[in-house]
Amino acid sequence: MKGALLLLSALLAAVPASGQAASGRSKHVVATLVPETTAVAPGQVLTVALRLEMEPEWHTYWQNPGDSGLPTKIRWTLPEGFEAGPILWPVPARIEVGPLVSYGYDGEAWLLSELRVPATAAPGSSVTLEAKVDWLECKEQCLPGKAQLALTLPVAAQAAPDAARAAPFARARERLPRPTTGWKGEALAGAQAIALSISEAPGAATPVHFFPLASELVEYAVPQEVTSAGSGFRVVMARNPNGGALPATLDGVVTTADGRGFTVSVPLREGAADAVAPPKPPAPAAPPAGTGPSLPVALGFAFVGGLLLNLMPCVLPVLSLKVLAFVKHGGGEGGALRHGLAFAAGVLVFFWALAGALLALRAGGEQIGWGFQLQSPPFVAFLASLFTLLSLNMFGVFEVGESLSSVAGRAPRHGLAGSFWGGALATLTATPCTAPFMGSALGFALAQPATVNFAVFTALGAGMATPYLALSASPRLLALMPKPGRWMETFKQLMGFVLLGTVVFLAWLFGRQTGIDGVAALLLALVLVAMAAWAYGRGTASEASGRGRVLALGSAALLLCAGLALGMSQPQRATANAAAPAAGGLAWEPWSPERLAELRAAGRPVFVDFTADWCLTCQVNERVALASPEVAARFQAEGVALLKADWTLRDERITRALAEYGRQGVPVYVLYGRDASKPHRLLPEILDAGTILKALDETL
Amino acid sequence: MKRSAFLAALVAVVLTAPAHAAAVVGQPAPEFTLTDSTGKPHSLSSFKGKFVVLEWNNFDCPFVVKHYGSGNMQKLQNTYTAKGVVWLTVNSSAAGKQGHLQPAEVAGKLAERKAAPSAYLLDADGKAGKAYGAKTTPHMYVIDPKGTLVYAGAIDDKPSTDIADVAGARNHVAAALDEALAGKPVSVASSTPYGCSVKY
Repeated sequence: MKGALLLLSALLAAVPASGQAASGRSKHVVATLVPETTAVAPGQVLTVALRLEMEPEWHTYWQNPGDSGLPTKIRWTLPEGFEAGPILWPVPARIEVGPLVSYGYDGEAWLLSELRVPATAAPGSSVTLEAKVDWLECKEQCLPGKAQLALTLPVAAQAAPDAARAAPFARARERLPRPTTGWKGEALAGAQAIALSISEAPGAATPVHFFPLASELVEYAVPQEVTSAGSGFRVVMARNPNGGALPATLDGVVTTADGRGFTVSVPLREGAADAVAPPKPPAPAAPPAGTGPSLPVALGFAFVGGLLLNLMPCVLPVLSLKVLAFVKHGGGEGGALRHGLAFAAGVLVFFWALAGALLALRAGGEQIGWGFQLQSPPFVAFLASLFTLLSLNMFGVFEVGESLSSVAGRAPRHGLAGSFWGGALATLTATPCTAPFMGSALGFALAQPATVNFAVFTALGAGMATPYLALSASPRLLALMPKPGRWMETFKQLMGFVLLGTVVFLAWLFGRQTGIDGVAALLLALVLVAMAAWAYGRGTASEASGRGRVLALGSAALLLCAGLALGMSQPQRATANAAAPAAGGLAWEPWSPERLAELRAAGRPVFVDFTADWCLTCQVNERVALASPEVAARFQAEGVALLKADWTLRDERITRALAEYGRQGVPVYVLYGRDASKPHRLLPEILDAGTILKALDETL
Repeated sequence: MKRSAFLAALVAVVLTAPAHAAAVVGQPAPEFTLTDSTGKPHSLSSFKGKFVVLEWNNFDCPFVVKHYGSGNMQKLQNTYTAKGVVWLTVNSSAAGKQGHLQPAEVAGKLAERKAAPSAYLLDADGKAGKAYGAKTTPHMYVIDPKGTLVYAGAIDDKPSTDIADVAGARNHVAAALDEALAGKPVSVASSTPYGCSVKY
């Protein structure tokens, strides 16, 4: 449909007419020469736009195309005495293609050129301006595009501006980087990084990105560290190790949050090798005072959260069996309390390990936040396999020698170690539940210093270990538990089904991350894992013969490896943050910093929904609050632009944006009013229609 | 035991995070082992003592089409393999992406284009490509007999898809090889690669 329209417009435009725009097209781009005035006047300057209209998702490139691509070229053939200036490039956008980053345009780009008309041009005659235009158009794939365009314009004593074109030309000029005569600054190149420091930047809003002109100076895909400092700002970029000799100046365009761009040209010199540290993820912004809970409150919440974790479908089965074993044996060697403490230690050590791994990765420059464990399809596949195995264990398909959940009548062989690992396993099985239920709380904790972080994780672990610890410490509490009996076996098997329910959630999530083929592969992998469990069970059965045992155990190992390998090797979709299906009749657009800046610059109110499929709070909010008829009607009536940032898979830009709002997890809801100078407003993590309507009343 | 294995697997999964890396001119070229279209493994270290050229390839990319359509790439391959240079063409297109080839398809593609690399290496998971920081097709690297990277960048100095541009261009790869083979330092040791993005 779009293609047909483009073709139609190209055909219409191809009809030659004096003073009219001239068009040509490639497969995905329509190129049109648009003169600003309907005639040319001797001795004056005529501005001509090359308008590139790109199909959705196709783009063309800036003068420095970044990691790949080619800048658009115009070669003019002009009458005697005419001179064409260079392309005046509008502010580009950052275009991510897999792990690479290009600089260019999507939608529609106006590349302006200024043509000097000689004083000798004779009024009454006409001139033909010819342009050979070459560009590269890319979506994922690239195609060269070219057009030969010709404009014929009359020469008149006065060139009357074309009223119909005044607005688009004004918009095109608005998109050009602004001159920055009042700016002061310099740039320093270290061994691994280049730092641009502007000490005074009058007139600029919050800087967002620096687009360098030199092609091999920086690594485009490494996130830039942009910080406001006094009346200026600082941008640290990773230096390209193959960049060659350093130019004398650092030239480029810096973009700001209001969607404008500013020309930068400052002296660039080599600094000491370690003068400039390479960019790291931005230091998590301290949440504004008064908006976050105080430390004791946060610890209290974490403790209660840990207590509640015991009731989550991922943890309850594992934990309740542990308790059942306890009921049966009344402890084991070393007394009940020691087991309780070993279990608590297992929980805590594992929580610390998880928090430590997360902090270490973040310190190492990874852009991740809480919930990162569910952003990795291999880990989701691993968890699904683990839960399948546990449920089969509960059905009695196989027994593990030192089974933590053994209620078969034997005392655990390695009593204390068994309890410790029991705690660790309970924590591991809790990981899928912490993200959906507690993502926002933990995300908040992660924005704090490391010590606070560990305190919060410790409180969470303590909360989780408390019920078990209490049972082990108090014989009277234990006496309240039902007496051992056949019901325990029934209960155990029932809990196996609860675990299978968790597998369904993980498979759904995996499907959102990889697609329907991925789910099929995962289910096949789970069948292999289940077969492995069954073979293991057959092999360890007391009636198995020696040879049969070896065969069964060998095939169990093989099947387990094959299953895990299959499940964990599924490729993920390119990105989750694509156009989301309309929910509740509302049209959500995929979020990007550029789109947000654009809408803000246009004075549109914007509502941003930072969400993820694995975040249950987000799902509930979207279905209950955001999709409610009153909210939808209000959004529409006020013309609120709706942006959805989908964090189901890792997305560094979203992680960085979350950090800018002082958060490290989803959900986050941000409302921007019409007035671009007013600050944004963060909505609570648990939304209802009333809260949104009230926020709209107060902000718009 | 079983539970320790779970833990080990968890830690392994959590810690496998991609690292940003690139090959740096003047430094040892990153080691890799890739299998060719016949399933034979090739390691960079096994070519110690020889010059090695790495050519990032995607036959469906118009920039690659330019250099194969003009016969430019084949000429380089023939000229320098005759001088004992090992020419490795690497394909980092991921499964399902443009230019991805199954091992069985490679021989036909090479014959169709009369390409003559020493080996055509498949890097569908992009590991080697990312280790080198390969950004475009083509993206060219020259490694000396000691394993040091002596050239990284574009094939020539005319970034375009126009076959007519091949004739007048300075071929950076040929120049680097000629200089290095003659024992001279490489005068242009890096340049901005141009082409389609590598389809990781």
